[in-house]
Amino acid sequence: MNFCAQAFAVARKDLAIELRTRESLNAAGSFAIVILLLFSFTFDPFSDDTKEFGGGLLWLVFVFAGALVFNRGFARELPNECLDTLLASPLSAAALIVGKAIANFAMLLAVELVSLFIFGIFYDVSWLSQSAWLALVFALATWGVSILGAVFGAFTVNLRLRELMLPVIIYPLMIPLLIAAIELTNTVLSHQPVSGQMQWIRVLVASDVGFTTLAWVLADTILVN
Amino acid sequence: MREKLIIALAVGAAMLLTYNLYNIFLVLPDEIAQGYMYRIIYFHVPAAWVGMIGFFAAMTLSVLYLASGNFRYDSLAASIVEVSVVFSTVNLVTGSIWGRVQWGIWWTWDYRLTSQLVCVLTFAGYLMMRQAIDEPTQRARLSAALTIFGCFNVVIVWKSIEWFRNNHPGPVISFRTGGGKMDPAMEHMLFLNFLALLVIASALTLVRMRQESTAREIDSLRRAAHV
Amino acid sequence: MDARNFTFMFYGFLAAWLIVLVYVVSLARRSARLRKELEDVKQLVSTAPENRT
Repeated sequence: MNFCAQAFAVARKDLAIELRTRESLNAAGSFAIVILLLFSFTFDPFSDDTKEFGGGLLWLVFVFAGALVFNRGFARELPNECLDTLLASPLSAAALIVGKAIANFAMLLAVELVSLFIFGIFYDVSWLSQSAWLALVFALATWGVSILGAVFGAFTVNLRLRELMLPVIIYPLMIPLLIAAIELTNTVLSHQPVSGQMQWIRVLVASDVGFTTLAWVLADTILVN
Repeated sequence: MREKLIIALAVGAAMLLTYNLYNIFLVLPDEIAQGYMYRIIYFHVPAAWVGMIGFFAAMTLSVLYLASGNFRYDSLAASIVEVSVVFSTVNLVTGSIWGRVQWGIWWTWDYRLTSQLVCVLTFAGYLMMRQAIDEPTQRARLSAALTIFGCFNVVIVWKSIEWFRNNHPGPVISFRTGGGKMDPAMEHMLFLNFLALLVIASALTLVRMRQESTAREIDSLRRAAHV
Repeated sequence: MDARNFTFMFYGFLAAWLIVLVYVVSLARRSARLRKELEDVKQLVSTAPENRT
């Protein structure tokens, strides 16, 4: 099996488990909706300013909900020594991490789409204009967040206070991704042309390429049998 | 030998600092726009430089640990990160106090201060993670990987926050005198105090590294005794 | 204004030195704790053959 086949096999396994149990999706989705509800009490949801900080609001919801998805990623392999079995198998560590990231990406994207739909209703925001750009921004930023979630899910899987350590370590590392995603999302929501903000697309691409490369190079260091 | 080196560094730092403080307070003139207050720059900026150099030195040592497996590199990296977090905190606190005088607010969201805050949070997470891992090899491996990720992130964070803050301009801490260039005597003192802080940081790093060696000795004795 | 500047500059220097001093004190305490722990473990190891049945 080549690298891509291995990674997609891992992703298919995780997504199959998730579709059967819906643990992470239900938890992350409900959490996202509750946070959107709570935010509506902190400011006027229908003011014009919502378009100025709607992007920030959305991406904070996504990363908080994402932590619930990332925590489950490697933790689900702990019972019955599944993680040890995976590491002892011919599967490469890099394929395992990338496969987990692909699964994280799919789950987080599903949560984001539902949240975006509900955000549009709760806050009276139209996100259909420049939808191609919005899809690109979501894809790039979600991949960056997912690969970090997979890598640091592997980091923290055997640590004490895993649920606390993962957010503490991962959120500062997500800052460039978040800034770029927030700026581009705000641009789209306020119907400004994205072509004037291309440096943020470059930040997203550079972060994605950098973090994915580091994950691939350091995978054997992070996951040792 | 290490004891003598630590003492030598401490004495050297004390002498250099005494000379620097004398010049800072009694010899150098006030700055045109900021008056007396500007003198805080002689600790604010060098502390940032010491912190940044420390984080990148730790990254180099992490790569060396992964290549060689020698625990000394891990101990040195952890010691340097801890000392660098302290000096970066000094940078943040002095920057905050400076901002209070210049702009009337305790925190300015200046892109350099914000980037420094992100570094401190990243490497504070590193220190927390080390506390949470008992097994030395796993601790060293994961610490090395996190340092590499953290330093890559620092580079991107710096530029991102600069662009972000340029989109949303706010107060910026600046130490340029009238005409846009720093006075040569002031710049000279800046580098001299940077040297003093670097010597202090080196002494503290060596003390911390000695503690890491002691901790490893305790760990190996416990394993030998199956305790 | 000058008096206020001087006060804040003093606070700034005090904060810088205080942070470093707190760290040095914590290092000293950690050193003392590690030294004691090393002596305790050495003593435990030296009496270990008698403890094992």
